[in-house]
Formats: sequence, C-alpha cells, structure tokens
Amino acid sequence: MGIEGILSQGFVTTQVDKVFNWTRTGSIWPMSFGLACCAIEMMHAGASRYDLDRFGVVFRPSPRHADLIIIAGTLTNKMAPALRRVYDQMAEPRWVISMGSCANGGGYYHYSYSVVRGCDRILPVDVYVPGCPPTAEALIYGILQLQTKIRRTNTIAR
Amino acid sequence: MTHYEKLKTCLQEALGDRIKEFRDSLGEVTLVVEPADYLGVALELRDNPKLRMDTMIDLCGVDYQGYGEGTWQGRRFAVVMQLLSVAHNWRVRVRSFCADDDFPVLPSVCEIWPGANWFEREAFDLFGIVFEGHVDLRRILTDYGFVGHPFRKDFPISGYVEMRYDPEQRRVIYQPVTIEPRDNVPRVIREEGYGAGH
Repeated sequence: MGIEGILSQGFVTTQVDKVFNWTRTGSIWPMSFGLACCAIEMMHAGASRYDLDRFGVVFRPSPRHADLIIIAGTLTNKMAPALRRVYDQMAEPRWVISMGSCANGGGYYHYSYSVVRGCDRILPVDVYVPGCPPTAEALIYGILQLQTKIRRTNTIAR
Repeated sequence: MTHYEKLKTCLQEALGDRIKEFRDSLGEVTLVVEPADYLGVALELRDNPKLRMDTMIDLCGVDYQGYGEGTWQGRRFAVVMQLLSVAHNWRVRVRSFCADDDFPVLPSVCEIWPGANWFEREAFDLFGIVFEGHVDLRRILTDYGFVGHPFRKDFPISGYVEMRYDPEQRRVIYQPVTIEPRDNVPRVIREEGYGAGH
C-alpha cells in the first residue's frame, strides 16, 4: 500500500489480499485456553509489561470470537476431546499456536499414560513455540511469526 | 505421662485385640487392622470420647507388589488413613490390607467421615480398590473411557492406549500405544565405598 495518493487525490490503491492480510494480522484474537504453567507465561504476555494488546491480540472468552487458539500447557487425554470441540467451534480462518514442550510433543510427560504426545495429534498446528515454559517474549515472537505466515497467504489471487 | 504416651494408652485401651500391629516410630502411631475390624475401628476412633478422631486428613491406596525387593510376603493392597483429633491435638495412621489380592474390597468410611468420599474414589480409580457402601464410586482423575488402574505396579508407565483425532470419524479416538516402552533402569554405577568419606 502506498499513501502518496491520500495527499493529492484523497484515495489509495492496493490489492484486496493485502487488505485482508493486514486486517487479519492486526487483530489476531486468541481463545483463552490455558492448560498448565504455560498459561501463566501467556498471562504475562497479555499483561501490562509485555502487553499483547499492542499487536491487536485480545483474549476472548468464546471460540466464536476467536481467530487463534494457543495451546498453553499439558494436553491430557481427558482434555483432548474438549480441545477439539472448542477448535471445531472456531470460525474460519483460524490458526493454532502450540506453546511449550508439553503441547509440542508431550515434553516431560511424553511417556505418561494420560497425556497426548503433542497437540498436533488432535488439531493442525501453525506455529510451535519451544520452551518449558517459553518466556512471554518467546510467545510474542511466535505470534509475530504467525503474522508473517498470515501475510504470505493469498485469499483472492492464487 | 506425656501427651503422646497418653494417646498410645488410650488407643490400647479402646481397641485392644483389634490392633493387629501397633507401630510407634518417629513419634507417630500406626495401627494395622484386619479388614473385618476396619469399620468398627474407624467408628471407635471417632466416637470414643478419649480418642475423638474427628477429622480425616487423607485416605489413599498402596500397592505392595514387589515391595522390599521381593521380600514382602503379605497381602498386596492396603488402604491408609491419616486421622487427626482437633479436640485432643493428636494424630493416628490406620492401615488395613485388603483380603483378596485379585478383587480388593474394603468397607467405605464415607458415613463416618464424609470427606472420605473423593479420597475413596481416587483410591478406586488409581488402585482398583472397591469401597463397599460408597454412594458414588466413579473414577475421579483419569479420562472418561479409561481402562485399568494406573498406580498398580503392573500397569505400564505409558499405558495401553493413546489418543488422536480421526478425520474420517471427525472425533478424538483411542489407538494402541505407538511409542517404545521406556527403559528406566539407572545406568549409574558407583565405585566401592562411594559417599563413605564423610
């Protein structure tokens, strides 16, 4: 997008895809889905020091409002059907961030009888954030990576 | 007579022969009782004005399979209660071994201490100990379709099944475990007399 036109003609020209991606990257609303200690780090990222609101990231209490779901913590067998149900209720387009070792591949509980060995067995993941738990900066970096990924997609021109 | 000695005397007087083993170590009392006496002992402990064990702190199961490097000859499953008397300010531990190793059963103490409800559900869930007379003996911790009792010593650490999403059925399903069992034997070998130099 160029803004030169605004000064003389009062309008700008751009591509629809770019507008779509600009709106999508600028307001990624994640579903509040904290499962374990990673959720505390997620709260830090949302609180005033790191302030995810700067990126238009606002936590929502309903999957119907949400574009993103952050799997923050250990996904147990008991929780897995509930997680999938929440994901299925989210409207397209939707993205998934897997946060922390447990969500990435079971982590510390990889050999446990009650833990899902990676949340990608339950839903498709876009960005994996490593760490145990990842710092708030790491999560924000993951969200910025997701923004870059969204910018690469084309909805109209294929 | 100290406070602790008074507790021991009161227990001996109140329960007598029903105590199969009276263990006194580290300033704590453990009573071992037969399953047939379990409920009667529990009632006596609560209602005898000299004991008044009014609070149940904890109830849990124990699996003694392989205990003491195979030297254990006793029965396999036990239930351990930690009791507290707020009135007298003393504590007692009560242990009872289930009679049948293949189908461990004990009477429920929910009527005596209502707080035992979830503890007994936990012991049932993790060890498969059935509490007779329990009003609502469901699993409490493991997932809804879980089979087996994970805290039993013969339960494999990774379990028998794992979960994944099935795109055709469009739901989360169980499948047999796909990972190799974990070798947990420590490989550290200590030289002779390690740590003896202190």
